[in-house]
Amino acid sequence: MSKDESTEMESLRKRSSVTSFNASNPSTIDTSSPPEELDLTKRSSWFPWDVQVVEWDVLLASTAIKLLLFPSYRSTDFEVHRNWLAITYSLPISKWYYDTTSEWTLDYPPFFAYFEKLLSIPASLIDPRIVDLNNLNYSAWSVVAYQRTTVILTELVLGVAVLRFIRGSVDPSIQRIISASLFLHPGFLIIDHIHFQYNGFMFGILLWSILMARNGNKLVSGILFAILLNFKHIYMYLAPAYFIYLLRSFCLSPTYQLQTKNFVSLANAVIAVFVVSLGPFIVMGQIPQVLSRLFPFTRGLNHAYWAPNFWALVTAADRVLLKYARRTGADIPINISGVASTSRGLVGDTVFAILPNIQPIHTFIITIAWQSIWLIKLWRTPTYKSFLTALTLCGWTSFLFGWHVHEKAVLLVLIPLSLLASERQAYFRTFIIASVAGIFSLFPLIFTPGESLVKVIYSTLWITFIYVPLSRRVYEFPKSLSYVILDTLEKIYLAGFPFLLLFVSLFPMLGNRWQGSNVAQTNNTCLSTDSFSCPDPEPSAPASFSASALEFLPLMTTSVYCAVGLVWGFLRLMYVYLNETTYQGQLSGIR
Amino acid sequence: MHKRGIKQWVVPGAVMAATLVKYCEKIPPMYGDYEAQRHWMELTVHLPIQQWYTYDLQYWGLDYPPLTAYVSWFCGIIANWIQPSWVALDKSRGIESPGSKVFMRSTVVFFDMLVYIPALLMFARTWQGSRSRRTQELALLTLLLQPALLLIDFGHFQYNSVMLGFTLLAINFFATGQDLIGAFFFVLSLGFKQMALYYAPAIGSYLLAKCLYLGPSAGSRLFLRLALVTSLTFILLFLPFLPPFASLTSILDPITRIFPFARGLFEDKVANFWCATNVAFKWKNWASRGSLVKLSTGFTAVGFLPAVVVLLNAGWKLQAASPSKGGKDREGEKKGEKEHVPFLPLLPYALLTSSMSFFLFSFQVHEKTILLPLLPITLLLSGAPVDSAVYSWGALVNNVAVFSMWPLLKRDGLGVQYIATLLLWNRLIGYNPIRVPPKSFIQFLSMAVYAAAAGLHLLELMITPPTRYPDLFAVLNVLISTPVFVLVWLWSIKCGMEVGWALGGLGPAASAKSTTTSAERRLSEEKGAGEAVGSFRQMGGRAVSLGFGQSQARKRAPLQSVRSKTSSSSVTTGEGEVI
Repeated sequence: MSKDESTEMESLRKRSSVTSFNASNPSTIDTSSPPEELDLTKRSSWFPWDVQVVEWDVLLASTAIKLLLFPSYRSTDFEVHRNWLAITYSLPISKWYYDTTSEWTLDYPPFFAYFEKLLSIPASLIDPRIVDLNNLNYSAWSVVAYQRTTVILTELVLGVAVLRFIRGSVDPSIQRIISASLFLHPGFLIIDHIHFQYNGFMFGILLWSILMARNGNKLVSGILFAILLNFKHIYMYLAPAYFIYLLRSFCLSPTYQLQTKNFVSLANAVIAVFVVSLGPFIVMGQIPQVLSRLFPFTRGLNHAYWAPNFWALVTAADRVLLKYARRTGADIPINISGVASTSRGLVGDTVFAILPNIQPIHTFIITIAWQSIWLIKLWRTPTYKSFLTALTLCGWTSFLFGWHVHEKAVLLVLIPLSLLASERQAYFRTFIIASVAGIFSLFPLIFTPGESLVKVIYSTLWITFIYVPLSRRVYEFPKSLSYVILDTLEKIYLAGFPFLLLFVSLFPMLGNRWQGSNVAQTNNTCLSTDSFSCPDPEPSAPASFSASALEFLPLMTTSVYCAVGLVWGFLRLMYVYLNETTYQGQLSGIR
Repeated sequence: MHKRGIKQWVVPGAVMAATLVKYCEKIPPMYGDYEAQRHWMELTVHLPIQQWYTYDLQYWGLDYPPLTAYVSWFCGIIANWIQPSWVALDKSRGIESPGSKVFMRSTVVFFDMLVYIPALLMFARTWQGSRSRRTQELALLTLLLQPALLLIDFGHFQYNSVMLGFTLLAINFFATGQDLIGAFFFVLSLGFKQMALYYAPAIGSYLLAKCLYLGPSAGSRLFLRLALVTSLTFILLFLPFLPPFASLTSILDPITRIFPFARGLFEDKVANFWCATNVAFKWKNWASRGSLVKLSTGFTAVGFLPAVVVLLNAGWKLQAASPSKGGKDREGEKKGEKEHVPFLPLLPYALLTSSMSFFLFSFQVHEKTILLPLLPITLLLSGAPVDSAVYSWGALVNNVAVFSMWPLLKRDGLGVQYIATLLLWNRLIGYNPIRVPPKSFIQFLSMAVYAAAAGLHLLELMITPPTRYPDLFAVLNVLISTPVFVLVWLWSIKCGMEVGWALGGLGPAASAKSTTTSAERRLSEEKGAGEAVGSFRQMGGRAVSLGFGQSQARKRAPLQSVRSKTSSSSVTTGEGEVI
């Protein structure tokens, strides 16, 4: 169905609803709202925009919470972004990718640099010290308030995108829940509003692009994705699905004939986007430098704290094998350098003690191999739903098997997956498992005691208010014994998370006591009475190797437990995708 | 939410959301109430009870009644168990490690959950028991997210919600007719913070009026029981300071600490009568401290007198006019205790009048004390429909109260929290002050006050105060806030009188009916007052201002008339408790 047809349908539907309504009750016509929404939605009289009271409520409530989080813990990413403000403001463009005044050099693509340049102009008016290049680790109230405000404001892109998803969706009341869940996603709260990044803004662009694909406007979809790639190159994880989808459904006709006009316009548009982005650097001949900043291949397989992916499981298996080999004295060759390596959790190379070591090329091949499965499937059924699933799976594959994946990348899985959540029970369960495991795996990012409770309470609230309404909607009666067994196992897995949380939060306390009884109590008594700055003993330096290994144990457990869920969810979605015809849902109708 | 079938999740969700907001608030810098509370934990853990009120008074000496001390002791033991350095005697002064901060904040949330939230839940179930679940939940949310309390307890750091929670529990038990339990809780409230005295005139006269209402013999029996319970509770609270455990004079230590008459008329800039009039009339130059104490006491007494008179009058008149409750026989008495009290709806107004008059006129008032008058008016507001006068007054007073604490919040660095909680709460209750043209006096007043407050904030942003008047903005703040508080006080007297008149003017058999008629009168008033605003609130709200009293009265009206006709009193109402 072409775009014109669908819009025509839309307007027809509206018109008929208005006329029928008109006939029944001529005094109260609400010309702009579709009939199925009338019960929920009183139109706000404050603004003439197409936004309803419920949606304003969500926006205001979330803004209030975000405002309250202004003074909370922020990671080094905050200083990273402040430094970028300073770089882009005070240096000419030719020096942006060369500056090393701070250790936090600019390593995002040019659009993000332009974006920072734009933000730095008001910043310089508010407080010139924000954009002072040598003013490292500046943390006055002005810069905190300013940067946090920009996150909230730019996140409105996401807000508008998810609002547009509601309008014209197949079932607006369910889509509203999903949209709200996206806008209020704990991932954004934890990563953007506490930890500090601009993910809400960029996922907003991604969702815009997906929305355009849904609405049949594939050219714009492609352009938006190209723009997104030039904001943050991590979205390359998703690029294969985009490439195949646009090529198959936009540039080729169903009978595999090249649609020259479409192809040329798309190619030109994408090239134009890249020229705008990289053009100045091409002219200056800085492309190698820019690329070396964007793709630092000098890092290890695992990030500091293992992202909950396949390699976390492999690394854990290596640890277990090592223990086993040592205990039984089995005749297995042990790589000595690997013995101390992995449990330390420092940034660096991961060297396995027993298992063969992994090179970047291996991860690359595995990722491509998996992705090609989805891409072939997508090539044969280039529908919107198929695209969405393939997109999710592409992100998921890269997350599970990629080199040096960061745990924040799990959002690349969770966000597109959310759009599929209400499709069928199978999708919904995958969504719940992935969301719980994925969000839980983000918890270690926030380790300060003050914010720990916030993240836990917020995430619990979020999952409750997503799970309860949606689970009723998609409930399916179990049809076979294997289904019942799987269902029970998954529930047991999910029920394990509260205990994991308990373990992770109580462990340091117990470890502290245990350590305190072994090592003489040097840290626990506070000696400095003149200055009121007794250090908290929690981050005190570990006394021995065993203590540091114990410190790492909760993190390791978290990442392995979450990895199990994410790998399982991946296999689950894979199965569903490959048997898509049996899992028809409301999105299947969109061509 | 109800439509989605997640009904049973609303209340836990609301409580969790409130907890979330509470944890999001940040602790202000050291050396405020935070350090005081922490210091009390430190000294109660390490010192014998007799030294609690005497140890190093210069450094945040304990100046709250014993229950606070016991609570601090309890928290101190826990803290000592988790991390002894948090409460090490003398050495821990000013400690502010992240861990200790979270611990301190968690204690507030814990006691809030233990006392205040159950009290709120019970309030929603008893006082608004006849209303739809939706209204009850909305009322609960309104009270849970009340910005002033959030900012002071969880931002600034105090345990006010415990004191308020005890008082609220007392009121709830009065509503269910269990006066003795109610009295017990009110004494606990007094024993936690002496500020609960602000409510004492209203509570005392309510109980006295109930004694009057029950007639000579049942009334005096209730009176004796109340006296016994009250004094026993007090003795229990002060037990460690009383003769067998301590010397006779040691009781004076807490007493002198709790009532510091040695300080000035007012301390900081506070939006009450004395501070506001001080701009034009320097009280300190005109009168000695002793006469000022007398003067303020007299003013306060005059201030809460109307509430007392109305309550007693209602009790007396209803009793005098009621033959069935004249105390003729024992059955009558028994029944009387179980009965619902017709003048219960007066209680919130009386509480408001009494606490507001204390706030406005008494000696040594803090700006934080505005929380006490805020409780009754928020209770009234929580069940009121969006276009009623009660609603407008309640919202206005809540907002102005937060505004009046702005200088304090600004000092604490709670500016963002100030905006966020106000925004959240006003949105929650569906409040929209801007309505052109204003239709009633209260709307006009609200608009004027908000304009003035906004103007003041703008002014403060743009210019620094002249060196001659460093407190210029604080004084202007006081001058904006005080008139509102005075007007609310007058309004509460007026409402009390209206309700009292409606109750007292009619005969006993019709007493139930009279409440209904008054409700109907109010209802019609409110209906006409304003038109709908775009809010979810209006969809659920039935236009009754005090659900519990009237609905109970309505339920009983047929029953009562039957009873008075046959004058047989063997009817048992299933819900009363035998005390």
